[in-house]
Amino acid sequence: MSNHEIMDLVPLYALDALEGQEQADFVEHLETCSQCLSALDDYQDVAANLVHDQPASEEIWERISSAISTDGATESKVVPLARPRPNMFWRWTTAVAAVFALVFGAIVIIDNLDDQGLTSHSIAAAASRVVDQPGTLVGDFFVNEVSVAQVILAGDGRGFVIPTESLDPLDESRTYQLWVINDAEDAISAGVLGNRPEPSTFTWTGKVTGFALTREVAGGVVSSAGDVVAVITEA
Amino acid sequence: MGGEDMMISLPLVLENPIRLPRSGLLHVVSNDRSDDAGLVAGVLAEDDAALESIYRKYGGAVHFVARKVLRDDALAEDVVQDVFVSFWNSPDGFDPDRGSLRTYLLTIAHRRAVDIVRSEAARSRREGTSPLGDQVIDIDDEVWARSQSEIVRNAVAQLSEDERNAISLAYFKGLTYVEVAKALAEPEGTVKSRIRGGMRKLSLVLAEVAR
Repeated sequence: MSNHEIMDLVPLYALDALEGQEQADFVEHLETCSQCLSALDDYQDVAANLVHDQPASEEIWERISSAISTDGATESKVVPLARPRPNMFWRWTTAVAAVFALVFGAIVIIDNLDDQGLTSHSIAAAASRVVDQPGTLVGDFFVNEVSVAQVILAGDGRGFVIPTESLDPLDESRTYQLWVINDAEDAISAGVLGNRPEPSTFTWTGKVTGFALTREVAGGVVSSAGDVVAVITEA
Repeated sequence: MGGEDMMISLPLVLENPIRLPRSGLLHVVSNDRSDDAGLVAGVLAEDDAALESIYRKYGGAVHFVARKVLRDDALAEDVVQDVFVSFWNSPDGFDPDRGSLRTYLLTIAHRRAVDIVRSEAARSRREGTSPLGDQVIDIDDEVWARSQSEIVRNAVAQLSEDERNAISLAYFKGLTYVEVAKALAEPEGTVKSRIRGGMRKLSLVLAEVAR
């Protein structure tokens, strides 16, 4: 088939209206043709638009929920926060974080935050980029009027926890855990910080009325016994 | 306006003890995230509440497509479950650079439903029995119209009847263009042209609306 003939098949493939050898030839072509792949993305979007959103069945969700609970994929709902790689910047970054609100404008941004290869420095840099954005929430966990950690939550859901040197380390059998308090005053786990917390990230896009920092058994818990270090709430 | 003026700062108030739910314990509950990127990140982090939110946003549309193609409720429900469990197990199969999460889920659902229809049709041919749902080739304009948003209905209204029928049979009945040609008693080349032309029109109109 010519390129022109192949290109003509894109809308038909997007509707799953090809079969047999013709479909096989087209799929093979797709592997090497970015132009057809891009056109396919567009036509698949058109096809999906032919269907309006509708209410989802509760019964089917129960089946899905049961299936993902029994396949071992959800053994724990406590998710570790994204952690930095150990690196030489740790002490320096923490020191910077302690006076973050005063000096964030001067922090040098060295790289982008992504899922892999986070460093304490890159987390602090990413936090510095969102701390003065409209809609960003900023608060400190205070113990005896000393900040032990700062929480920054950007409007797009990216969250950062920046512990200070005043946060006491725990023994290895315990961990700090961060909780988000929603408008129903439920505390929802945002992740575990470890026994010697370093700058970390989390994701949250729901409503927030505050944060809590607790001490828990190593690995974190889904239901806290309430050993609360400090709480940040709205006035 | 400076960003600093717009910043919302939570007053730094220490409350001790924390305001606890009635049980006296802190609980993990579902959150109400609505942003797809955040929800996908949640699924990547094995947060089943994120998957539930995605299901509640798109599960109905996924179910509709599966039911239209399969015309069998039990099989359609299996497809919906399969789509979301598969996404849970392999969320990295979704590439946000290639399109929306909604399109990704609907594309998978449609393909799986079509695969079932065709494998059942092949089995029926081998065994000489009725194919799945005893497929009656009709064009249900009412369902076709009801399934769409107003924007898409307006776009579809710009198609010729022949184009609309060909696309409807291919997408909602899960027919190949060869089968569509047989159903409409038209040459295969003609049906290919109608599907191609109709999809191009829809693409142009919807792209214009999106601007």
